[in-house]
Amino acid sequence: MGVSKFRKAQLKIQQMAFMLIAITIFFALVGLFFISFKVNELKNQATNIEEKNAMMIATRVADSPEFSCGDSFGPGMTSCVDSDKIMMLKEGIEKYKGFWQVADIELRKIYPKLGGDKKCTMNNYHDCNVIEVYKNPSLNRIGDYSTFVSLCKKDSFEGVGYDKCEIAKLIIGYASRS
Amino acid sequence: MIDKRGIEMSFAWLFAIIVGAIILFIAIYAAISFMNSGQGEVNTGTAKEISILLNPLETGAEIGVASSFALPLETRIYNNCNSQKGIFGMQGLSVSEKSFRKWTAPGLNLEFPNQYIFSDKYTEGKKFYLFAKPFGLPFKVANVVYLTSKNYCFYNVPEEIESELEPMSQENIKIEENCPENSINVCFGSVITSDIECEIKVMYNDGEGYVEKDNEILYFAGDSLMYGAIFSDKNTYECQLKRLMKKTEQLTLLYIEKANFVSQRGCNSNLDAELIILNSMAKNLEKSDEISQLTPVVENIQYKNEDAECRLF
Repeated sequence: MGVSKFRKAQLKIQQMAFMLIAITIFFALVGLFFISFKVNELKNQATNIEEKNAMMIATRVADSPEFSCGDSFGPGMTSCVDSDKIMMLKEGIEKYKGFWQVADIELRKIYPKLGGDKKCTMNNYHDCNVIEVYKNPSLNRIGDYSTFVSLCKKDSFEGVGYDKCEIAKLIIGYASRS
Repeated sequence: MIDKRGIEMSFAWLFAIIVGAIILFIAIYAAISFMNSGQGEVNTGTAKEISILLNPLETGAEIGVASSFALPLETRIYNNCNSQKGIFGMQGLSVSEKSFRKWTAPGLNLEFPNQYIFSDKYTEGKKFYLFAKPFGLPFKVANVVYLTSKNYCFYNVPEEIESELEPMSQENIKIEENCPENSINVCFGSVITSDIECEIKVMYNDGEGYVEKDNEILYFAGDSLMYGAIFSDKNTYECQLKRLMKKTEQLTLLYIEKANFVSQRGCNSNLDAELIILNSMAKNLEKSDEISQLTPVVENIQYKNEDAECRLF
């Protein structure tokens, strides 16, 4: 009699334990599903914000002190990028790591046209068409925004200095938050 | 005989009560944590959105641009300036919202090296006002942003300041007339009408001077720093000034390198010596009371650049 009561109680405890484990697993799965859904939503939100940030920067960075021509090619020039300053900036770009919080910044001359892409260095400065100003290789670049600018520099012909301006595209790349 | 009757409880009941209590506790704890993290997420998202709103003001070429934004709940925007972090220092921004009559914990402190916000330690309200102005020494160093939510009433304003403030028509900044009762009075010059209680006094002499508020003195040179001193607390002002000097230091180096680079093509600006001096002064500036020492060097650079055969900036 006593033994059967004991066995019955044992069975009930076992039943309850299994039930508890099942409930725990169920809630854990629901929790995991919910967390992954929220994380995904957050990532999308963060990527949208990055995209908006890149768009804002693309439209305005040309007038920032590191890029703008100021009055060096005449007063009141807007959307004008100082190519000489950019080359110097590019040389010491390590200091500006994370400064603009974008994946990359590139200037691409579109007029006058040059056959193929030639990345600008100090050696081929007068015969190139792509200036890679800044690149963060650790970021997963997913898109870009661009704007048209005047790319101006000081040049000389037979010892006489003059201002040379070309049309370029300022491209700001943005990354996904993954 | 002693009555030994009591409540008999089977093991199953006892077990269910204990485990039930644990499950309930975990559920309540998870719900509270989730609510808190949700609030943190909202606060952090708001801070990021605000920083993006500031981007066009910071990077653009606008002069004295005013704008405003409103948030659905009573909000505090914390201005966490750090002049020590990194090469340019950091502009930190965090947000806390009022929920059930209590301020929630601020969200993550988002940091931006390229923004300069002058405001109190925190700015509180539903509607916030912004305006930006370029800071130059004499080349443009950055656009600085002023964040306010309170009403300000300016008295005895110099003509040049009035002509700048009036066209902006920023809702919370009035000049002598139509000032709301709760306004903070900003008085220029030493001669002030006796019936005005001046919370902020500005000694302004040809673009230089100091601002006296909360028994503290903040020195400025140039209008953009003057507004900074009016709208910020001392710590934020000194910190942002230090950060602006760090940026000046880097920009002078950039201009020195540019000057050498373009001189190879016969473009001489002859500004190297002055730029080196400015670089060293910006590097060593510790407090706002040293700012006026920069003025002669800055004026000299300005003058030489305007006269140069090949302008550097």
